[in-house]
Amino acid sequence: MILSPTSRRRWLLASAAALVHCHLAAQPDPSTINISDKVAGFVPIALSGFTGEVDQTLRFDLEVAGFSLVPPAQARFELNGKNNGQIECTLTDAGKHTLFARAYPGGTPRAQAHALADDVVQAAIPGQKGIAKTKIVFKLDTGHRNDHNDAVSEVCLADYDGANPFQVTQDGTIVRSPAWMPGHRTLFYSSFRLGRACIYSHDLATGARAAVASFNGMNDGAAISPDGTRIAMVLSKGGSPDIWVANVDGSGLRQLTTTREDDSSPCWSPDGRTICFSSRAEGATRLYLVDAAGGAMRPLNTGGIRGATEPDWSPDGKSIAFTQMSGRENFRIYVVPAAGGEAQYISDGEDPTWAPNSRTLAVVRRKGGLRRLSLLDVFTRRVKDSASFSGSCSQPSWAR
Amino acid sequence: MKRFSQIGLISLLLAGALGGVGCKHNPKNITALPGSEPPKGGTEFTTTQPFQPTTGVQPTGVDRSSKPITPSNTFRPVENPNGIDRTVDPLAGAGAGATAPVNTDTNRPQPEGDIRAHTTENREMFAGNTVHFDFDKSAVKKGAETTKVIAVAEYMKLHTEAKLEIEGHCDERGTEGYNLALGERRALSVREILLNSGVSADKVTTVSFGEARPVDPGHDESAWMKNRRAEFILLMPDAGTVR
Repeated sequence: MILSPTSRRRWLLASAAALVHCHLAAQPDPSTINISDKVAGFVPIALSGFTGEVDQTLRFDLEVAGFSLVPPAQARFELNGKNNGQIECTLTDAGKHTLFARAYPGGTPRAQAHALADDVVQAAIPGQKGIAKTKIVFKLDTGHRNDHNDAVSEVCLADYDGANPFQVTQDGTIVRSPAWMPGHRTLFYSSFRLGRACIYSHDLATGARAAVASFNGMNDGAAISPDGTRIAMVLSKGGSPDIWVANVDGSGLRQLTTTREDDSSPCWSPDGRTICFSSRAEGATRLYLVDAAGGAMRPLNTGGIRGATEPDWSPDGKSIAFTQMSGRENFRIYVVPAAGGEAQYISDGEDPTWAPNSRTLAVVRRKGGLRRLSLLDVFTRRVKDSASFSGSCSQPSWAR
Repeated sequence: MKRFSQIGLISLLLAGALGGVGCKHNPKNITALPGSEPPKGGTEFTTTQPFQPTTGVQPTGVDRSSKPITPSNTFRPVENPNGIDRTVDPLAGAGAGATAPVNTDTNRPQPEGDIRAHTTENREMFAGNTVHFDFDKSAVKKGAETTKVIAVAEYMKLHTEAKLEIEGHCDERGTEGYNLALGERRALSVREILLNSGVSADKVTTVSFGEARPVDPGHDESAWMKNRRAEFILLMPDAGTVR
């Protein structure tokens, strides 16, 4: 009997569904896990039968997702299979019950492995979505200088693990602060292509781009609202770097903050009502909240952690990740409840961006004069380096 | 009689309404940069390399043609030998109109608010006036540093046709987002001294490079102290000949 992959998968899923349900009911629901509670443990899994790129990719994906790779005797799950053009595999639990048996034909070995990893995450950690097929945009310092002696940086797009990089801009100058338009294949970033930083929107499907903000002074730090209709950014045309909000085409511009000091790094709450940003309005650098519709800015309680900057609001709305600068050379990633409270130290690094699963962060780490992207599982605190590039990578923004 | 009083009342209200309009005054921007009212309209341009979409859901048809990024196969020298066309900004203020784009086909956007438009830059004139800052500070130090700014102010007051761009720079320490804002604040505090010395506000603009253009690429204090700076770029109006 020959079954198409889809019908075969459906059949196997149906037969395994009851088993999956009764086994997994005992596990904690991740939506109720508060990271301020005790750090969640690794999920032990054993892999066998895979080779080469598929094996490497699977191991990477599963470790980022919170699994630990262990011998079969210690494993709660076993993933057994082979890859020869296509992946065929079976996921079983400790009681040897089959959770699924699937084939992954077509595409590259890497893409097959990502698809499998996401299915394993979904089957083994209920409520958790896989992120192995997501993408990240970031700034790549090429290491070159142009005629103006600027350190040339361009905006690049890659798989979440740094594979399959694609250079989005070819401006030959400083291009920085890339940000996704949520739910769209459109990027926003600042480029010096005309001699000063202006904010552009860039439609990845057509390559068309348009200037959104090109005022005298600073045009930077674009962040798009979750519904994709508004842009928050840092402009200095009012006399100091302040937070401004406009429609995504640049119309309807409105000034949100009026501090005399630096305001930077705006980000949106998932409901689009609140903007979190960093400011030194009261001397020390710290985080503030302001209503996107306007109003007074109010400090976010980070539990005494000083030097908070570069906030990013988790997609589930519960947490804000940020960078702590201490001594300007030591950077640490913290996560604080969005309502304020005690901030949890997660890892060393800077400029965090949340994955769509509200559990994984991409961060920047400095090593030997270079900067590179790493993936950080907030629950287990595990850090995995992304694929390395010949230049420095920074300012990651996760597609979500 | 009743009708007359009605007419009188209406004319009084009308006069009051008109008077109200006439009395309306604009709030003054104290240190805002010029070009606060962006020109209407917008243009689009297309990059040479459209994004190749890849399929995400099923592992089929994923594009693997793109090579790993290395400077040698991705960096391309800028075609213009001067690097950047600084004479005209076809995108100045593009897409910034608060009203519906009614007349976008009649005129290309005018870079009227752009201080850099139709000027040629001279980086040498004030090379000796570069202002240096203390670590993590944006205030111009009293004494020698302030004197350098005053000297630029005196020149600007004598040469009213000249314009100025102030570049703010940081050392490599600090996060990128923070350094971007710090560089801008440095440029703006220099600008503030110029304005207080009598230089016209519509002649001075600012730009922050953050840590992207160090004069010394070193990783020690002697390099950092050189890199924490604000530079003056003299912008002279183009007169027939462009360099």
